[in-house]
Amino acid sequence: MTALLRTLRGALAVDWRAFLRAHWTQRSWPAGKALGWLGALFGVAFLAQILWLASDQRQVLESSERLLERTVPSTLEHFRVARNLEQLRLEGERVFSGRTPVARQQARFIVSLLSSHPAMLADSRVAALAREVDAFLSQAARQGMSEQHYAEWETLSSRLSLLADDISTEGVNLASADLQLMSTTMLRSQVKLALVLALVALFVGGFLFLIHRHLIRPLQEMDDALRELRSGQALTPFSTTAMAEIRAVEGAIGQLREVMHENDEARRQLHFLATTDSLTGMFNRRHFMALAEDELRRAHRYGRPICVGMADLDNFKGINDGHGHAVGDRVLQSLAELFGHTLRQSDWVCRYGGEEFAFLFTETTLDEAHRLAERLRQHAAETSIDVGDGSGGLQLTLSLGLADASTGSLEAALGRADTALYAAKEEGRNRVVIAASAKTPRPPPEEGKDLDSPTGERGRK
Amino acid sequence: MKARTPSQACCLLLLGLAAGVLAHAGERVLRVAILTNSPPMSYTDASGKPAGFNVGVARALCETMKVRCELTVVELAKVVDAVAAGEFDFAAVSLLATPARQARVLFSKPYYRSNSIWFSQPGVTPGATSARVAAVAGSAQYRYARAQGWNVVAVDHHSELPALLSAGKVNAVLLPMATSLSLRANPLIQSLGLETTVLQAPELSGDVGFSIDPRNPQLRDHINAAFDQIKRDGRFDRLNTEYLPFRLQ
Repeated sequence: MTALLRTLRGALAVDWRAFLRAHWTQRSWPAGKALGWLGALFGVAFLAQILWLASDQRQVLESSERLLERTVPSTLEHFRVARNLEQLRLEGERVFSGRTPVARQQARFIVSLLSSHPAMLADSRVAALAREVDAFLSQAARQGMSEQHYAEWETLSSRLSLLADDISTEGVNLASADLQLMSTTMLRSQVKLALVLALVALFVGGFLFLIHRHLIRPLQEMDDALRELRSGQALTPFSTTAMAEIRAVEGAIGQLREVMHENDEARRQLHFLATTDSLTGMFNRRHFMALAEDELRRAHRYGRPICVGMADLDNFKGINDGHGHAVGDRVLQSLAELFGHTLRQSDWVCRYGGEEFAFLFTETTLDEAHRLAERLRQHAAETSIDVGDGSGGLQLTLSLGLADASTGSLEAALGRADTALYAAKEEGRNRVVIAASAKTPRPPPEEGKDLDSPTGERGRK
Repeated sequence: MKARTPSQACCLLLLGLAAGVLAHAGERVLRVAILTNSPPMSYTDASGKPAGFNVGVARALCETMKVRCELTVVELAKVVDAVAAGEFDFAAVSLLATPARQARVLFSKPYYRSNSIWFSQPGVTPGATSARVAAVAGSAQYRYARAQGWNVVAVDHHSELPALLSAGKVNAVLLPMATSLSLRANPLIQSLGLETTVLQAPELSGDVGFSIDPRNPQLRDHINAAFDQIKRDGRFDRLNTEYLPFRLQ
C-alpha cells in the first residue's frame, strides 16, 4: 500500500512537473503582453488596496464631520444646561442673600424663568430639580427666609452643582465615542498603509527581478554571443528564456552564426582554391609570385640574403608516355610530399607549370641554398615511387637551377635560375646549377651542414 | 530691463487700483433689520449705537460670512412684512417661528427656545375678565391675546409697558421671556408687587430664529452655517454672557 502510494505520488509529481514544463516553463510570452498583464494585476491589486484604505478615510471623515456638526453642538448644549443649573444655584443664593427686596425679587424671577425654560425641561433630571428648586424658593419666600430653609437650600444647592457636573461630563463623553472610532480607524489605516507599501515593494521587486531575469540577462547573453561571433569562438548555447521577443532575437543570432560560419567556410575554400594547385596541394604560381615579391622586398629593405630556385622533373614526358597521365599525376603528388619533408618551414615552393617548380629560400645565402637543393636532389634520386604496376617503383631525378635574389627583380632572379636549370639539363640532368657563377658542377656541399631540419607542411605549399 | 521698470510699475499700480475698485464694487452688503426697543436683545446704548444680544449676533454672523451689513431699525410690527417684501436680507429679531410667519419668510435654524411671561398685579390671572393686558403690536403675544379675546392694549415699544403698568392703565403685560428680564428690573414697577406666570401655550413658546428674505434661500444656508460657527468658536456664548443672566438654549 505504501509503495503504491509512493508510486502514485511519484507519478503525480512527474506529471505535475511535465505539465508545468509544457505549459509554463517552455512557453514563451510576448514581453509587452506579459508586462502588461503584470502591470494590470498590480494596478488592480493597488486600486483594491487604495479603495480599502479609502473606506477608512471616509469613515474618519464621516466621524469628524459628525463630531463637528452634531457632537460638538450637542456638547455645547450640555455645557449650557450645566451653566444654567449653576446660574439657578447662584440666583437661589441671591434669593436668600440679596441686598434689597428688589434684588431678591429679580433673583426669584430669574429662577422662575430658568425652571420653566423649555431647554431645561427637555432633560427629566434637570426639569425635576429645577421645579423642586422653584417650588422650594417660592415656599421659602412665602414662609420667610429661616435658617431651616437655608439649610435645606444648601442641600438643593449641592444637588444643583452635582447635576451640573454630571451634565458637563456627559457632554464631554459625547465626543469620546467619535474620537475612539477615529483612533481605531486611523490605527487600522496605518496597518493598511503598511500593507499597500509592502505590496508596492513586492511588485517593484518582482518587476525588477523579472526584467533582469527575462530581459537584461538574455540581452547580456546576446552581447556575449555577438562578441563570441566577432572573435570566431563557438557560440555558447542560450539558456531558455520566457520572452518571445528575446527568443526571436536569439534565434536570429543563431541563424546569423550559421550564415557566418558558412560564409567563413566558403571564404576558406575560395582562398584555398585561389592559392593552391589542385593536383599537388602546393601554392599555385600566382600566389607564390605574390608571396615571393613581398619576401624579396623585405629582404632588399633589410639587406638580408635570399635565393630563388627552379626545378624540373627529369624525363617526365617519358613517364607520362610510358605509364600514363595518372601515374604522372601520382609522381607529381609524391614529389610534392618529398618537397614538404625535405624543405624547411621558411622555404616556399610552388608548381610553376607542368613538372616545373619554383623555390624561394628566405634568409638563405647561395651556399646554403645550394646545400639545400643538393639534399633535395639527392632525396629525390633516392626515392622510389610505387605506381601500382608491380614493377617495384619509379626512380626519379631532379634538375635544379639556383640564383641569388638579394639584388634585382624577382623575374630577373627566376630567369637566371631558369637559365641555370636549363644548364643543368644540358649538363646531363640530376644536378644543381647555380646561376651567375656559371661554374658547374659546383662541388656538392657537406650534407646537413648549417641547414635547418625540414619541418612542417609550409614548404609544401 | 531697467528702462522698462517704471512702465511696469505703473501697470502694476493700475492693475492694483482696478482690482481694488472691482473688489469694492463686488462686495456684498446685507441689509439687516434690527429693533431698538427690546432690551437686552436690541436697544440703543448710551452712545446712540445699536446694541444688545441680537445686534451682537448679527454682527458676528456678518463677520463670519465675510460680508458688510447695514443695520436698520424697524418696528417689530413691520419686521415680517419688510423681510417678506425684500426690503431687508434678514432681520436680527427674535421671532417665534410660527406657521403664519414661516409661510411668508424663511427662518434660520433656531438659536434658542423661548416662552412668554405674564406679568400682572396680584390676582390677575391670564384670561381673567378683569385683566387689561398690554402687548407690543406685531408680536406673537399680541396676536395670541387678541386670538384669546382678551382685553388687549397694543403698544409700539416695550419701553411703554412700565409706564402703563405704573399708571394703572393696564394690570398685566404679556411679553417674551428675554425681554421680560429688562422689564422686571425697571424701577417703575418694583413697587407694584407684580406676579409672574410663565405661559407655555404653543403659540407663545418654541423655537426662535432670524427671518430671512424668502427669495434668498442661499443666504439662509450661509446664516445657518455662520450660527454653527459662532456657537462652536464661543462668540455666541460670550454675547450671551454679556447681555443675559443665563444661557439661551
